[in-house]
Amino acid sequence: MLTQDTAPQPRILLTKSFIDSHDRAIATIALALRDAAMEVVLIDYEQPEDVVNVALQEDVDVIGVSFMSGGQVETTEKIFAELKRRDVTDLPVVVGGTIRPFDVPPLEAAGVKAIFRGGAPLTEVVDSFRTLSRAYRGLAS
Amino acid sequence: MTTNSIEASGGPYAKWQRTVADRYADRSFVARTRSGLDVDPVYSGLDRQGVEAEMPGQYPYTRGIYPIHYQYQPWMDLQIIGFGLPSQTRERMDLLLQEGGSKGYFGREAYNFIFDMPTSMGYDPDFPGVRGSIGDCGISVCKASDYEVLLDGKDLEKTTVSMVLNAGSPGMLGLYLAAAKRRGFAFDKLGGNLTNYIWDFFGHSGGTNFSPKGSYRLIADIAAYCAKHVPLWNTLTISEHNICEAGATNVQAVAYSIAAIIAVNEECVKLGITPDDVVPRFGFHVRYGENFFEEIAKTRALRRVYAKVNRERFGCTKSSALQARIHAQTAGSLLTVQQPLNNLVRNAYGALSAVLSGVNGMTINAYDEALGLPTEEAVTLSLRTSQIIAEETGATHVSDPLGGSYYIEALTDEIERKVFEIIAEIDERGGLVACIESGWVKQQVSAAAYNWRQEVESGARTMVGVNKYVTREPEQFAVFQPDPDAARMAIDDLARHRRERDDARCTAALAELRSAAERVRDGHDIGSVMANLVAAADADATLGEMQTVLHEIFGRNK
Repeated sequence: MLTQDTAPQPRILLTKSFIDSHDRAIATIALALRDAAMEVVLIDYEQPEDVVNVALQEDVDVIGVSFMSGGQVETTEKIFAELKRRDVTDLPVVVGGTIRPFDVPPLEAAGVKAIFRGGAPLTEVVDSFRTLSRAYRGLAS
Repeated sequence: MTTNSIEASGGPYAKWQRTVADRYADRSFVARTRSGLDVDPVYSGLDRQGVEAEMPGQYPYTRGIYPIHYQYQPWMDLQIIGFGLPSQTRERMDLLLQEGGSKGYFGREAYNFIFDMPTSMGYDPDFPGVRGSIGDCGISVCKASDYEVLLDGKDLEKTTVSMVLNAGSPGMLGLYLAAAKRRGFAFDKLGGNLTNYIWDFFGHSGGTNFSPKGSYRLIADIAAYCAKHVPLWNTLTISEHNICEAGATNVQAVAYSIAAIIAVNEECVKLGITPDDVVPRFGFHVRYGENFFEEIAKTRALRRVYAKVNRERFGCTKSSALQARIHAQTAGSLLTVQQPLNNLVRNAYGALSAVLSGVNGMTINAYDEALGLPTEEAVTLSLRTSQIIAEETGATHVSDPLGGSYYIEALTDEIERKVFEIIAEIDERGGLVACIESGWVKQQVSAAAYNWRQEVESGARTMVGVNKYVTREPEQFAVFQPDPDAARMAIDDLARHRRERDDARCTAALAELRSAAERVRDGHDIGSVMANLVAAADADATLGEMQTVLHEIFGRNK
């Protein structure tokens, strides 16, 4: 018998730098998450630290950062440093976009939970956000 | 073989013959096929209404803007170039030149510079939060002296410089002109292009730009200044390409591009600028590679609608104000990480459709761009793709080779009709600026992007190597890695620049810029912002310092 899941829907922060361009991917992911009944906050950030600030204010379960043209490693490392400083090291961070082979080791070392590159199936992306969100809230996935 | 279909003496074909005879008296453009058959440079015939069809070089320019095109002069190859510091990009420029690239018109060298994102948006390397992007995906440029490094020893009268950037565009032209002035070049001899994407990313592609109203005012200012002082400079590129890349359909992208021209022209008229004086220096950046025949038809429709709108709506009479010049670029967002060599094939088909459309310039992306910044090998292969189409395939022998095809002509008419419908809707909604401000454009484009993605997900749209013909084996490709030290060097160099300059002179020039910007914002002295950007750059103001003033007066999009 199906039981209704009364757990709140995942809340996701999707964000991209104020100087980055081509936001097609992040806009598409936002719509896909919305269609999967998630709540999405979509903003540009100026300083990497602002990302954590918004994540805490909006009480999100996952942070997704998109990159097109630079800052992949530097920005992500700063976000993790800020998470540590604010004592929320368990808040999961995923990255997507143009992630180059040489970006991967430092991103993984920083602690990103998933990397989505061009062509990643939307269903996989959506599932990943849902799983990370439920794990963060201590729900069974 | 001679075209001998329909020859009313006053008809399009007879007129075309006279034009070609006058303009190219002693030349024949008859080419020969592999079998030894002669082919004319263009073919005439009856159109779908049964009357003699328009010829290339004739209003409304559906078939092309020149009576003779590639047979006389091939398209300009403008490979995108730029990474790291000016000195590092200069090394890549020298390589490209050596490979036979960088060829502009009339024996000029031509470079298509792309800037890193801080520069593109008008921020200096020491602006907080931009460090990770310095020199990544473009050159870091923030002062006039950077052009002295980038173009050291180049004769700027024989060098065409195209600058691809967003909100940083006005200040960037200031830096370039200041550098040219210091080297003693007269502005009226300088040729180049400023994309001036200071508004189109707004509502389409993200990033920090000017407010829509402020953008159009700045575009008018730059156009008016250049018409008077830098008459060979192309002051605005309408990027149909970027609208497509954001996810719009071909019809939407053409319609929004024309709507942008309407908005610019309306702004010019409001400020007392005659469109005929500035429109000839506007151009288009159009995307190819997604739907072969539709893109040929959209190009023909774009040229036709542009000519009609400028003549009928804005009273333009100069032929150069009616002719849409088009720079083609293959579609970056269709390049795949999976099986990246497939991208070589995609790019070649995109480039071929651009050539069959009769475009004026060409950027063929590198096959490895989905992986990162292109490698030298990939850049060279893009150039070779263009050279093979131009010099091996024979595709250049006949202008508008698909003109008269039932399919292409019907599709061209249909796209034109749909484009005018969207323009009418935008007019009803209060014009493009209102549609950007309300978020309507953004919503239309995002919905189209999402539909596209869902088609890929469902398999209704095939992407080879992504959702069909997938291979499992991991593929290792060399990826270009920008110099991680570039950021530090750019920041150090900027600190040195600030230390060594005459601060009083710089501060005074920035104050002059501010008062000019206020006057222009209020509708006076149009052209004086650009004049003062040149003066401020010459007084060693940085791109970011000038941008701060412009953002304050003309407003940001967010």
